[in-house]
Amino acid sequence: MAAPLELSCWGGGWGLPSVHSESLVVMAYAKFSGAPLKVNVIDNTWRGSRGDVPILTTEDNVVSQPAKILNFLRKQKYNADYELSAKQGADTLAYIALLEEKLLPAVLHTFWVESDNYFTVTKPWFASQIPFPLSLILPGRMSRGALNRILLTRGQPPLYHLREVEAQIYRDAKECLNLLSNRLGTSQFFFGNTPSTLDAYVFGFLAPLYKVRFPKIQLQEHLKQLSNLCRFCDDILSSYFRISLGGISPAGQDMVDANLQKLTQLVNKESNLIEKMDDNLRQSPQLPPRKLPTLKLTPAEEENNSFQRLSP
Amino acid sequence: MSLVAEAFVSQIAAAEPWPENATLYQQLKGEQILLSDNAASLAVQAFLQMCNLPIKVVCRANAEYMSPSGKVPFIHVGNQVVSELGPIVQFVKAKGHSLSDGLDEVQKAEMKAYMELVNNMLLTAELYLQWCDEATVGEITHARYGSPYPWPLNHILAYQKQWEIKRKMKAIGWGKKTLDQVLEDVDQCCQALSQRLGTQPYFFNKQPTELDALVFGHLYTILTTQLTNDELSEKVKNYSNLLAFCRRIEQHYFEDRGKGRLS
Repeated sequence: MAAPLELSCWGGGWGLPSVHSESLVVMAYAKFSGAPLKVNVIDNTWRGSRGDVPILTTEDNVVSQPAKILNFLRKQKYNADYELSAKQGADTLAYIALLEEKLLPAVLHTFWVESDNYFTVTKPWFASQIPFPLSLILPGRMSRGALNRILLTRGQPPLYHLREVEAQIYRDAKECLNLLSNRLGTSQFFFGNTPSTLDAYVFGFLAPLYKVRFPKIQLQEHLKQLSNLCRFCDDILSSYFRISLGGISPAGQDMVDANLQKLTQLVNKESNLIEKMDDNLRQSPQLPPRKLPTLKLTPAEEENNSFQRLSP
Repeated sequence: MSLVAEAFVSQIAAAEPWPENATLYQQLKGEQILLSDNAASLAVQAFLQMCNLPIKVVCRANAEYMSPSGKVPFIHVGNQVVSELGPIVQFVKAKGHSLSDGLDEVQKAEMKAYMELVNNMLLTAELYLQWCDEATVGEITHARYGSPYPWPLNHILAYQKQWEIKRKMKAIGWGKKTLDQVLEDVDQCCQALSQRLGTQPYFFNKQPTELDALVFGHLYTILTTQLTNDELSEKVKNYSNLLAFCRRIEQHYFEDRGKGRLS
């Protein structure tokens, strides 16, 4: 517990702390259980991203898969399942198995195998996060690994063609989403009012599907119709990840936030000025209309200037 | 099968009642069948017994190749052939018999989740033990899998199957696991099942469902199959309510119906 815990994982985008499901599971669990995790995002200067991510490093241990990392955190007394009964613990295992068998193939397919999605979204994003020579190889390898996994676990005769496997896995995934939605019902988390391991796993699998903007989105549309699952993801994002969102999200997000802030400030300034103008006009109606001071030109402000010219 | 074909088959299935001469095909019981296939076959038999549907078990050496999906067991009903527990449950449901009608939505979700847990952990662990653990492979699996065939076919088929299974294990991340880790996973799975079962007679209290059939198939086979070491069955024996559960289903559905003890 005194040893610093470092997690190396894929970075974030589209409002998420990480785009990679397994990394997101570990991050969410760490937030739920209060483990002090230092997150090292894999970026252009990092060596050693060999596709085994997420990896937890402490002083003497290197732990690699999400299930093992969660076990390790539990042994270090960061336990999010403390209040669960034995039966709920058993249910957790069962639902995680359901997620891995039914939902994961379709998520892998949406991210890595569907050509439109892969070439326009996934590959450029991952390639931008990896140093140069590896960026040509690693996304391709991850894609092939995903296709392999889907075909080996689902593509058995008589489903000889990938298209038929696709139909089957999307059907299973939609059924799985429906089951999760039924199980969640109207409660805030899966087991009462505190989040647990199952919430971390469901969040890890669903959030990328929910937030990342893809060209081919049939599974995402299905997910959006299940409003309680969407609300679940949004709740966790806003309550557990808001503080670190500014630090982890990419520069684009920061710029948008900054612009938004500038715009809000200008609108406030402008409404103050309008109020003052109004007062002045009431007090001395013969005075010529005030010339408002011109502001410095930036795209957001130009918009504001034109608005000012229209007002009386 | 493709979605259209499935819809078509279930339409036809709904039309006819269950015939008297339905048969279930599996591999040869004495010399050929392996642990995982035996478990699957027993699960289907238990399910059909629970639905009160008569079935005759026929053993054929090439059952795996006759099956439409490459997996045993499969049932031959009327003029349709359906393999594996999932599709068989749906097929039987189309004919009007179902064990899980009385469950509400949340319970059905739980049932499906637990069935996936058994498939994900227990079945994969059984496959790992049979095909990736060198001691078991050498002594038991190779000899049994190719036993009906002449040399060199028996060796070739066994190696081919082993290669296939190893590929699958690597793809799902079990390739690097050691035997101890696999046994620990089995223990976790049995603990989850035991906690879910608690003191109830069946998983969803009074009536058995397909989950009970599946769990019975796997656990009974693990308990009664002789392997190179007994660690797998020891893991199951740690949970007394699971043992009682198996005994109860065996007595109620197999002995009482005059089928005699299962071998």
